[in-house]
Amino acid sequence: MTQAVQHIAASEMSPAVVALLAVLAVAELGLLAWALVDLYRRPAEQVNGGSKIPWLILCLLLQIIGPVVYLVAGRERRRPAAEALSPGAVAPPPPAVQGADAAAVVDALFARPAAGRRSAAPSGPDGAAGVGSDGPDGAAASGPAVDLRDVRKTFKDAVALDGLTLTVPPDSIYGFLGPNGAGKTTTLRILAGLALADAGGVRILGRDVAGGGADARSLIGFLPDVPAFYKWMTAPEYLRFAGSLFGLSGKTLDDRVAAMLELAGLTGVRTRVGGFSRGMKQRLGVAQAVIHGPRLLLLDEPTSALDPIGRRDVLDMVASLRGRTTVFFSTHILADVERVCDTVAVIARGKVVAQSGIDELRSRRGGLNRLSIEVDDPQRLWAAIADASWLRTVEAGEPGELLVTCDDVEAAQRELPALVGGLGLALRRFGVDELDLEDVFVDLVGEGRR
Amino acid sequence: MKGFAPFLRKELSETVHTWRLWVLPGFLLFAAISSPIVTYLMPTLLDSLGTAQQGFSITLADPTALQAYLEYLGNLGELTLFALVIAYGGIVSGEVRGGTAALTLAKPLSRAAFVIGKWLSQGAVVIVAAALGTVICIGLTQLLFDGGPSGRTVLAVALWVAYALMLLAVMVLLSIELRAPAAASGAGVGVYAALIVLAQFEVTSKVSPAGLPAAGLAIVSGEPARWAGPLAATVVVTVACLVGAVLRFERREI
Repeated sequence: MTQAVQHIAASEMSPAVVALLAVLAVAELGLLAWALVDLYRRPAEQVNGGSKIPWLILCLLLQIIGPVVYLVAGRERRRPAAEALSPGAVAPPPPAVQGADAAAVVDALFARPAAGRRSAAPSGPDGAAGVGSDGPDGAAASGPAVDLRDVRKTFKDAVALDGLTLTVPPDSIYGFLGPNGAGKTTTLRILAGLALADAGGVRILGRDVAGGGADARSLIGFLPDVPAFYKWMTAPEYLRFAGSLFGLSGKTLDDRVAAMLELAGLTGVRTRVGGFSRGMKQRLGVAQAVIHGPRLLLLDEPTSALDPIGRRDVLDMVASLRGRTTVFFSTHILADVERVCDTVAVIARGKVVAQSGIDELRSRRGGLNRLSIEVDDPQRLWAAIADASWLRTVEAGEPGELLVTCDDVEAAQRELPALVGGLGLALRRFGVDELDLEDVFVDLVGEGRR
Repeated sequence: MKGFAPFLRKELSETVHTWRLWVLPGFLLFAAISSPIVTYLMPTLLDSLGTAQQGFSITLADPTALQAYLEYLGNLGELTLFALVIAYGGIVSGEVRGGTAALTLAKPLSRAAFVIGKWLSQGAVVIVAAALGTVICIGLTQLLFDGGPSGRTVLAVALWVAYALMLLAVMVLLSIELRAPAAASGAGVGVYAALIVLAQFEVTSKVSPAGLPAAGLAIVSGEPARWAGPLAATVVVTVACLVGAVLRFERREI
């Protein structure tokens, strides 16, 4: 280095040329070092294009221009939502619209013709072509919203769906319940046309999904478990894009976008989607899925990673669709199912192990009502009820307590106190322990695993 | 191709709003501006360096507009195409890996529209950037030199655009076949290098796309150029790659 400097100093090179070369050398090395250090430290997901290696090659092989292009265009810029709100705004973004407001938006979206929803006329409030209508084969309207027959799907050696058979009635909110890895997401991806079943029949509203292509997809709205939007878009831009893919345009599209922003509580939010919170993305996800008034809404674990407020917002949006369209809603959160679903299917190891209404499911699992009774001498009471017609099982609970499972809980509630009085026992406590969905779920999934 | 128009609008808008706007046009404009200036300054620079280091001066003929245009085409054929291959390794797989494709393709958008929309939008970027770069290059060259074969340069750049669109189609296909963007870029560099090798043989340069860059240089130089065969081969390869990409993507799970 020293020799090189001495050599240049001893030469008769023009000072201007020396200065130019020195500036170029410093700029080249500086830019290269800056770009390489930045590239090394930056997580891959914050590099445009999703991979560091192409940028590394560009920086190393194309001197000066490579690092400049990386520094200008290769780095993803992220802004938190609060910072990117409209000028002057400091409050967090508003929640989704609630109650009557949400119902009004949904009413407008799924408005029905006077002759009934299942006529062949367009069902949208503005007559948008193909939106919510029965389409060419109106006969399909009377069939199930989803009809899966012996569907099989494997990934290499892993069996994801093992003869799944399932029927979803129209206009229901249908809970698709199962533990992680049971096959819920695979089922939804097949229904959405993103994956193909190895075998079996898959029909949506009477249309074969494998052969239906875009025609079948025009009837559904889909929200994956982790919705990924184009980060550079704003919420209105994304909704406009989604609506245009469903054939909406002009004033119809403008009105729908405005209504969906209101439904998702994103009216006035100017930040790009890349700066949205998880809850905002999920609400936008529901909005983009219903913008065309779908006949079937597929939601893949829409609340699994949300905080309580975000979860409430999304469940309220789902509940507001009750009776207007069919919602097929996968989850492993039992409280969500109990809150919004009419019907439930439980899946374990790629098979449906139960499918019915929630109350029916609870009661079918062995007349599942259990009484607990606490007396001063439980052994005498146990002997006295051994032959009762309504009795299924008795077991000892806490000291002095008997846990009684009944086929006819009302008969047991009538007879037990009288029996205690007849035996001269002191009744300390008497109550009904209704089995909740969690008990049923654990019971069913346990069976599936066995 | 259901949903083609809105998807193409989205792609073009994405190009304007994101990093894609800067990469290829950046390299093209760099070539357009630097080629005439470097050509113009090169004799002075070499003379100064030669005097300083060797004790004698290097005397070069006065630079010409033709040299500037050849330098520009050389930069397009090397620097810019290399950047294209590297930048578009994730043109399809990037969306699939990122999850945005799942949300988009669950709507009534055909897979063919998705693939062709990607190619066409980035092809438009190539065409617009090449046109802009060529106008700038010709303008600067006219300022620094007298005259020059600007008309022939435009024709040569048109051939280069056809070649670039073919490489873009190759990258679309590779990006569907190879799910990792880096792997697709690596394979693209391999294709690019193979084309350079094929260009060295007379037979292959006559009947394959490999002969197109050399034909462009010959056109600018005013020499006899055989460009019809390579151009036809380029169009065939482009169409074949796009058809293959659509067919493969139709069966691809998202």
